[in-house]
Parts: sequence; structure tokens; C-alpha cells
Amino acid sequence: MFGGNKIKIKKELYERVKKFSELAGYSSIEEFVEHILEKELSKLEGSDSEEEIKKKLKGLGYIS
Amino acid sequence: MRIKRRDFIQAGLGASLGVMVHCSSGQKAKGTDKKVIVLGIDGMDPGILEMLMSKHKMPQFSRLIRSGGDFKTLATTIPAQSPVAWASFITAKNPGQHGIFDFIHREPENFPAGLYLSTSKTIEPMDGKVRLGKWMIPYKSAQIKNMVGANPFWNEICDAGLSAIIYRVPADFPPFAGKAWQFSGMGTPDLLGTYGTFSYYTDNPPENAKEVTGGEVYPTFLKNGVAENFIYGPNNSFRLTEDGEYEDLKIPFKVYVDERNPVAKILIQGKEIFLNVGEWSGWTELNFELIPKVKSIYGMVKFYLKEVRPDFKLYVSPVNINPAKPALPIFNPENYGKKLVDELGLFYTQGMSEDTKARTYNVLDDNEYWTQSQMVTRDWLRAWKWHLKNFRAGFLFFYFSTLDLGQHMFFRFIDEKNPLHNQALTSGLENPIERLYKQMDNALGLILNQMDEQTTLIVISDHGFAGFNRAFNLNSWLLDNGYLYLIDPELKEQSEYFENVDWGRTRAYGLGINGLYLNLAGREATGILRKEEANRLLKELKEKLEAIKDPLTGEHPIKNAYIAQEVYKGKFVGTVSPDIVIGYRKGFRASWETTLGRFSKEWLVDNLDPWSGDHCIDPTEVPAILVCNKKIKKTDPGIWDIGPTVLKEFGIKVPEDFEGEPIF
Repeated sequence: MFGGNKIKIKKELYERVKKFSELAGYSSIEEFVEHILEKELSKLEGSDSEEEIKKKLKGLGYIS
Repeated sequence: MRIKRRDFIQAGLGASLGVMVHCSSGQKAKGTDKKVIVLGIDGMDPGILEMLMSKHKMPQFSRLIRSGGDFKTLATTIPAQSPVAWASFITAKNPGQHGIFDFIHREPENFPAGLYLSTSKTIEPMDGKVRLGKWMIPYKSAQIKNMVGANPFWNEICDAGLSAIIYRVPADFPPFAGKAWQFSGMGTPDLLGTYGTFSYYTDNPPENAKEVTGGEVYPTFLKNGVAENFIYGPNNSFRLTEDGEYEDLKIPFKVYVDERNPVAKILIQGKEIFLNVGEWSGWTELNFELIPKVKSIYGMVKFYLKEVRPDFKLYVSPVNINPAKPALPIFNPENYGKKLVDELGLFYTQGMSEDTKARTYNVLDDNEYWTQSQMVTRDWLRAWKWHLKNFRAGFLFFYFSTLDLGQHMFFRFIDEKNPLHNQALTSGLENPIERLYKQMDNALGLILNQMDEQTTLIVISDHGFAGFNRAFNLNSWLLDNGYLYLIDPELKEQSEYFENVDWGRTRAYGLGINGLYLNLAGREATGILRKEEANRLLKELKEKLEAIKDPLTGEHPIKNAYIAQEVYKGKFVGTVSPDIVIGYRKGFRASWETTLGRFSKEWLVDNLDPWSGDHCIDPTEVPAILVCNKKIKKTDPGIWDIGPTVLKEFGIKVPEDFEGEPIF
């Protein structure tokens, strides 16, 4: 899943991640973490187009 | 492709081909000779109409009402926003069923990303392009989806074998599927995909150049009497720059300024345009080449030479989609657009064609904005006359936009409470609002002169109008009252679009002009509020919002905070809808900053924008108008009743899921 790379996180956070990955029905903690990271990264990667969308909407007289 | 005679007849426009229209079998079907015309005048206010009629300044409206007609106020939607109200007209349903609640919507699952104009959305294919060196070749097209979530009532008319023509109704981009002939209205973008981006070329850029929205300022200097720059089009999705970004499509132009006289020549794509200072050009067609000699998209602009000395100032309109070769679906069928261009020449296609943003940022002054908006009105009047001359049977909806946008920009002329009232009176522009009402009276006169017994005429607006003098920042209020938190409070006024919001502690946020949303767990991507806490919080917010008092005027800015579950019914409630819709009192509206998630020091400030009138407030404050050539029986007609009324006039059964009822 992580290609052999390891990431250190606090024990308390690990326990919370473990709990939620089980509750949400993920097959492993790695799968859950990967899913969450992908989701967050896609938001950041999409930020340019979000700027474009806001610029487009600002052409409406009603908003600024 | 040439228009087919059969298509033309089906659309009810018979006369210019020298035919009368009956049903296709040649026999008279029930209602075949019947004509129902709905004239939609965006923003016509019943109070102003009544006042002008009492002064004998609206003779055609008075004539229609006196000669067996009727006049009532028409209830509008919560909130009284054009896309929301016209969507209820189109579908005969409440917003909970058609899914349009504000100009701006969000995708809760992607929030705070995922904003879109509520009425249409672009669906990009995930894997639709192949890269060949610098060329990126799409093999799947992006699709634009009309987000109105219910069928238009006019499909019932077409299903009955009758014709329907829909000219520029808002929320009709892209046009609905079906046989009705449509030219899309409010919500139609310019060629850049924006809702209007003008260009301003000058050697003396205004101080606020970087703050300009809805336009771009390009510093442009004369060298030996010649200025050079580009008109920018959309990104070229076929070609990449070395950085892997899409290349800008741009067309170079030169302006030759006469040494002695206030005159200039513009040279662009082999065309020469001569303008005096203070003169507007006609449409200049532009060809943006995606792949040279293979694929192009077509736009058109108008130039306005504002000044050549001492400063150089050239305004160029947003690049409108050329209706002769539309780059996006703005007509249904395409032949309708072709026919309009053949008969009328080129015309504005952008949804809101009146350039209010250029006025807001003083690129155009009051007189220049007036001239520009009158060019738009002339386009609509030309089309109105042509449709009236050629329309023979069936349903015709026709729309005028200029009164609405004129009231937005010129309400400060008539509202003594507006902070810019005295300044407006020095502009030299005389009674702009009254003149706009009189123009609509003249437009009505055109149809009254050719009415026959077969014609039902209904004139409606979608809302009235009020002054916009005080601006309320909902997000700042939520922040100061402990419903919303910032990561760094020091950066409150510097932050753009919710970027500084601490979502882990935020329970509610404001978005769009009237929307308040809970930051609900399981719905918003940022959500923290548990579902079981939602109802209590909504009641608490409603109570507190309605109790707010403006320290300056002593008034309560919010007349009603509507809880969505209590005022809407349908599948879009709680999913797409806001959780509370703010119904502002006359004189107040959402502040400019709050609509897209920005914060200001105070909750309530003076509105110092020339955009001085508005209607995005409580619907009971700004009802619409309803004027007909028949007596109205329904005591409390609403905009959702018009579609069922039209169906009944044709003898067509009103579908059971329509919420509106016939008014006659």
C-alpha cells in the first residue's frame, strides 16, 4: 500500500484512525488512510480550477 | 444547414414563409388557432407600475387593464431571486421540487470546493483527452447540464401537437430537451465560460484595477500613436504550453490614434473599425483558432472608444458567443438561432448582457452604461417585433432583461435613503427608471395593436424591486455569535472564500445571496454538527437572526429567516437547499463580501456600490406583477400558477404533480 515507506503518527491518532477504519468497514488501516489522503490531495490539486470557478461566478452582477 | 420548412411551421412561426399554421395533418385540432403569449419583464415592480399608471405614464398597461383585463400582484418564490422564480414558472413547482434555491450552489460532499452557478453545471469527462506532444486532443466532450430538476410545462404543449417558442427565459441554459424552440437566457456564459468578463485597455489603470471582478484591466501604452494588445479567449484545450498548462487563445489587435482628432482605427483579424471618442462599434466577429485551419470557435465583441487624450481608454465587451456559429448549445433547435441571425443580424447572447460590472468599477459611467444597456434592449425589441409579426399559433414566451438590471444600477436615482442618491442626481442622466418602464409600456403596445379574440396575453415579472442601502454580512454575524470560527482571527478581513475558517468548530456558514447552511456531519465534507442537534440550532438561529437590529436605522434587517423544511417540499430539500433562507427587509441585502465567504469588520455597512437596487430579499417585500387581458379569478396567484394557466387555455390537462393552478 505505501510501497515500503513508513510514516510516524502519534499513538493517540493511530488509535482513532484504527477505530474509524473498522467502523467505516475498511479492510485495513492502510486502505482507510490512503483513501483519506487521496481525498484531501484531490481537493488541493483541484484548487486552481476552484479559483477559476469563483472568477467565473464573480462576473454575475449580484456577487463580488 | 438551412432551415427546413417543416421545422419552421412546427414552431408556430408561419408568416414569413407565407403559411398559416394548423396541426400537421391539415385539420384543425382543438386549440390549434389559439395563441397564448406570456411577456416576461424581469423585475417590474407593482408599486412603481401603479404609481406611473396613476400619472398616465403607462398608457398601454392602463389600456390593457381597462379593456376587460386585470392587474394583481403575483407572489414570488423564497427567495425572490430570478433563477429561483423563473424555475418555478418553468416547472410550476416549488424550489424543493425543481432544485434551484439561489444563484450559487455548493456540492456538500466536496465543500468548501464544488461551487457552481445553480442552474447549470459542466460535467468533465475523467479520461477524455489524449496527449500528442504539445497537442491535447479531446475524444470525449465535456457536457453542460441544465440543473433545473423538473420538466418544463411547455413540453405538455408540444406533446399535444402544438408549438412553443421560448425566448430567453432565465434558467434555460442549456435549453431543455424537447420540441419547443428555445434561445437560452440568464445563465448563458460568454465565450470564456464566465458570466461576463469585459476588457479595459488603458495607459492609466484605475487604482482598484486588481479588485475588479467581472472584467480585466490591461495596461496598454501608445507608441508613436499605436497601441497593441490582445483580446483573450478561452483556454485552448487542444494545445499545451511548455509548463503543461492549456495555452491561452488570444487575438492581437492594434489601435491607431489620430494625431489631431479624437478618432482611432482598430485593426483586428483583417477588419478595420473606425471610432470617434464616445462611439460604440457594431459586433466584430472573432475567430479563435484551436487548431489552425481545422477547428475554431467563434465569438464577437463590441468596442467602445472612451478616450484617446490625455489618457487612452478602450472598453471591449465580454466575448459573446456568436449566434451564427454557437460554440455552446444556446438554441434548440440550432435552426432557430440560424433563422434569428438571418432575419435580425447578430445580437447579444450572454445571459446578463447589460454590463453592470463595468459600471460598478467606473469603467463605464452612468451615461455610458445607459447607452450599452439600450443596445441590449434594442436587440430584444427587434426580436420581439419579429416574433409578433411571424407568430401565428401556439405558445410564445418572450423576455426583457433591461428593466431589472437598470433598476439594480439606477435605484439610487429614486431612493432618497441610498448613500449615493445625491451623487446620482449630478450624473446628467434623467429619470432612467421611469424611461425604462415607459420602454416596456411601448413594448406592450406592440402586441396590443395586433390582439385578436384567439389570443390570451399574460404579462408577468418574477419579482418587484427595493432599495439596497445597507449590506448585512451573515458570515461575520455567525463568527461574532459563536457559530463560525476562524483559524487566525487576525486575518479575518484579508481571507478569501472561507480559506481561514476552522471547520472543526464551525456549525453554520452563509453562501450565496440568501443561503445559510449547517456544517452538517455526513453531508458537508467539513461537517461536524450532529443531525440530532440540527433542529434546535435552526430554531435558535431563526430567533436570533430575526431579532437583529440595525443600530443606524433601528430596523430589523431580517424580516423572516425561513427554515427550509418548513417552506419547501421535495427531494432537493436538505440536500441541495440551504437550511435557512434569509428574507431581508426592504433596504437591506446580503453584503458583497458574504456571498462568497468573506468577512468584514462590521455586520452592517452602507452599500456604496452603484448596484443600488435589489430584490434578493423576503418575497413578501417584493411581489411581482400579473397583468392579463382576462379577469383573474384566483385570489392569491403565484408565479408557479402561470404554466398551468397556459395549459388550461389550450385545453390541455394540467399534470397532477404540478403545484400551480390556473388563474382564470
